[in-house]
Amino acid sequence: MTALAPTVTSVRRARPRPDARRQGWVRRAPLLPALVFTIIVTQLPFLVTVYYSLESWSLVRPGSRHFVGLSNYLDVFKDSQFRQTAINTVVMTGGTVIIAMVIGVALALVLDRKFLGRGIVRTLLITPFLIMPVGAALLWKTTMLDSTFGIVNFVLRPFGIGQFDWLSRLPLESVMIEMIWQWTPFMMLLVLAGLQSQPKDILEAASTDGAKPLAIFRELTLPHLRRFIELGVVLGAIYVVNNFDAVYMMTQGGPGISSANLPYYIYQRAFLGFQVGQAAAMGVVVVVATIIVATFALRLIFKTFSGTEQAA
Amino acid sequence: MMASAESITAEHGLTTTAPGRPMVRRKRRGNSVTLGIVGWVVGILFFFPVLWMVLTSFKTEAQAYTNTPSVVFSPTLSQYKTVFSSGLWPYVANSAFATIVSTLLVLLLATPCAFALSLRPVKKTRDVLFFFISTKMLPVVAAIIPIYIAARNLHMLDNIFTMVILYTAINLPIAVWMMRSFFLEVPGELLEAAQMDGAPLRRTMTEVILPVVAPGIAATALICSIFSWNEFFFAVNITATKAATVPVFLVGFISSEGLYFAQLAAAATVATLPVVLAGWVAQRQLVRGLSFGAIK
Amino acid sequence: MAEVTYERATCFYPGAEKPAVDGLDLAVKDGEFVVMVGPSGCGKTTALRMLAGLEEIDDGSILIDGNDMVGVPSRDRDIAMVFQNYALYPSKTVGENMGFALKMHGVDKEERARRVREAAKLLDLEDFLDRKPRNLSGGQRQRVAMGRAIVREPKVFCMDEPLSNLDAQLRVQTRTQIAELQRRLKITTVYVTHDQVEAMTMGDRVAVMRSGHLQQFASPTELYDHPANVFVAGFIGSPAMNRLDGTLTPDGISVGGVTVRPPDAIMHAAQGHSQLVVGIRPEHLSIGEGHLDVQVDLVEDLGSDFYVYGHRADDTGATVIVRAGREHPRPGEAIKIKIDTARLHLFDAVTGLRIGE
Repeated sequence: MTALAPTVTSVRRARPRPDARRQGWVRRAPLLPALVFTIIVTQLPFLVTVYYSLESWSLVRPGSRHFVGLSNYLDVFKDSQFRQTAINTVVMTGGTVIIAMVIGVALALVLDRKFLGRGIVRTLLITPFLIMPVGAALLWKTTMLDSTFGIVNFVLRPFGIGQFDWLSRLPLESVMIEMIWQWTPFMMLLVLAGLQSQPKDILEAASTDGAKPLAIFRELTLPHLRRFIELGVVLGAIYVVNNFDAVYMMTQGGPGISSANLPYYIYQRAFLGFQVGQAAAMGVVVVVATIIVATFALRLIFKTFSGTEQAA
Repeated sequence: MMASAESITAEHGLTTTAPGRPMVRRKRRGNSVTLGIVGWVVGILFFFPVLWMVLTSFKTEAQAYTNTPSVVFSPTLSQYKTVFSSGLWPYVANSAFATIVSTLLVLLLATPCAFALSLRPVKKTRDVLFFFISTKMLPVVAAIIPIYIAARNLHMLDNIFTMVILYTAINLPIAVWMMRSFFLEVPGELLEAAQMDGAPLRRTMTEVILPVVAPGIAATALICSIFSWNEFFFAVNITATKAATVPVFLVGFISSEGLYFAQLAAAATVATLPVVLAGWVAQRQLVRGLSFGAIK
Repeated sequence: MAEVTYERATCFYPGAEKPAVDGLDLAVKDGEFVVMVGPSGCGKTTALRMLAGLEEIDDGSILIDGNDMVGVPSRDRDIAMVFQNYALYPSKTVGENMGFALKMHGVDKEERARRVREAAKLLDLEDFLDRKPRNLSGGQRQRVAMGRAIVREPKVFCMDEPLSNLDAQLRVQTRTQIAELQRRLKITTVYVTHDQVEAMTMGDRVAVMRSGHLQQFASPTELYDHPANVFVAGFIGSPAMNRLDGTLTPDGISVGGVTVRPPDAIMHAAQGHSQLVVGIRPEHLSIGEGHLDVQVDLVEDLGSDFYVYGHRADDTGATVIVRAGREHPRPGEAIKIKIDTARLHLFDAVTGLRIGE
């Protein structure tokens, strides 16, 4: 055993890291192309939109374009149609997302178990998501919901419903049915991922602990699925709130504006009414509202996703 | 030698009780039959509109406009003939071009970006991610006006490259998010092993990381392609004749012909077919992508 | 109060030709601590899971307290299971984890809380009742898994390698705690492990399994002193028993040229078996004038004991392990080994079964 060498207290000089700064940039470099591209293509137009919103500008009368400050915004807030379409949008988005998620959970539970032909059933169930939205809307408008020749009415005939004109009498609901049909597969797949990521021994433990299947679902599976459901709802809402194709194709927002949502209404103002300034102002209002709601929503998903659940 | 003593007795399955009775098996609770029926019923229900669309596309208009929907009929290809002779191909070419080029561009931009945000974390990772997702939350309608006007002023209206740029922009955030989740799945040990083996960053990237992430890249590419091919809003507003894509064709098919069910069914089938087939064939990738890499 | 009886219990994995557990007959007395041990794939875990209701009983039956468990789901068997990876409920606190089974059986809140607190005190978990599993260390999680089982006061404890994820020191500590706990609670326990040291130190009786078949079911001492076959002889005891090929001769047993003379009783029983396996434990060999010529390869120093590993100098080249003291030979030396003939074990080389008592 050698004797311990006496410890030498040396003065530690903080070595300057000349390449620390460069390191930082090297790390950031791969980010930049995507970031720059996105900023240019998305943020610049938004800033321009804000600028346009402060002008009174009609594309049919280009000469009359002039600065009007916030008066467009006043018009927007006074516009009862804007309020109505805003409500429509909320109903449409909330209803579609929630119903699609509920059905999605049910379908995921079915697909989680083995049965004959499970793979084929899954293929069948994801198809609606793949169909072109305008195509799907067209499909529902004509072959499904048409009052005379649509298959839905045919099926409902024995129940005495027969010639119901879906698109005129229940336009908002008709659009929602089409969107639910398209978005359920997405919800289902997310929840299925959640179900399959649950460790099996936890379910076995619950079984030996005396829990019946319903109790297991309620006490263990549902809490586990929470973050997947939240992700599905947020992501789905992002897309559904922006939905344009279905409204455009199925009802053109009508009758009147009973099935118009905000994207369609703004489109109407801009491209059919050529009121650039007004449409721009509406766009800005929608953006601000979305940001407020989204900030809360995103905080939620980040919290549930970055804190990874560890099976003990 | 001990080994031989072991091997002699290895095959005998020694027991203290006598083996050699017949193998009996009790019947097990096998695949659930009720669940299977439920699954099939729901699957067919959900698939039915698509099925009906395809069926209708093989009918004549007279057969399509019956009070009682006809399931048995003699199929005809006349609707498809009409569709294919309506100048479909330029639209397909445009869609294909816009989809493929924008998806490639997205992968090119998103992969290094996702890499930086996952394996070599940058300080403001959360903020950057938030920013990307926030761009998706801005309603396209807010951006369409200046984009339209800018495109008009730059004489880029009805230009397929404009579509490429737009599609890249709308898919980039999702691609970054998805790719990041796939990069996060790369085990840290793999990188450390490569480091110990003396591999420089670029080689680590190509030979170690990319093979592991390859399915994720495929999944991302598939999702982006689906969204690009199916995109309508920008297409209908920015393009006119030269750069028009398949969704525009489909809509155009209506206004000029009126609402003829069988014809429209054929047009819709043709329009949606590529994406549906791609989704079916690459189902695992699709599922992976949509679950953000949550399923292994 | 519960006896556990396996009667010809058999389990097939779906699609497999051979059963994972083949005709297991095992009778566990009420309050007994039985350990099932064996190499990977021997069927011990499957047998345990059959008892818990997590694997099907394809043939035969399993009786708990005289009641046949065939067709009875897990939740109705009154069995508490401790899983290898603990399987704690991630969304629930420690207290909720431990109280879950009671909740499922309709025990009211106060009673639940009382019993959880009692169990927590036993396991030193009182400070952790409000924590979630992800905020616990491995050892703490293990205790919660135990606590969850104890709270239930079931008929049977099933434990599936509960110590395998702990570090060595913690494992030894926890081992004694579990054994003590079981002695105090007197609940029939079936415990699975691949570690024969755990088996020997914890079990009242140990069931050695291999390829789905039971090899021997006896007390640790019985297994050590009288292994029923070559496999058990080689499996129990560390380092393993030396097993040498031998043939019967008129004078005794020839192990590669050298003849050893076992006690008359064993010699008598060996008549009629021509091919033999001679077993002798490392501590029953001594270095000095003796039967075997051995070349030393390496010496393991365990502090209290030294184990000399060598190979026979003759053409069999078989490995021999001898226990030695501080004064031990160095690697490379040639030594002579003496066999204590009174302590040798004899097995038939074809069937592997023990010869003699």
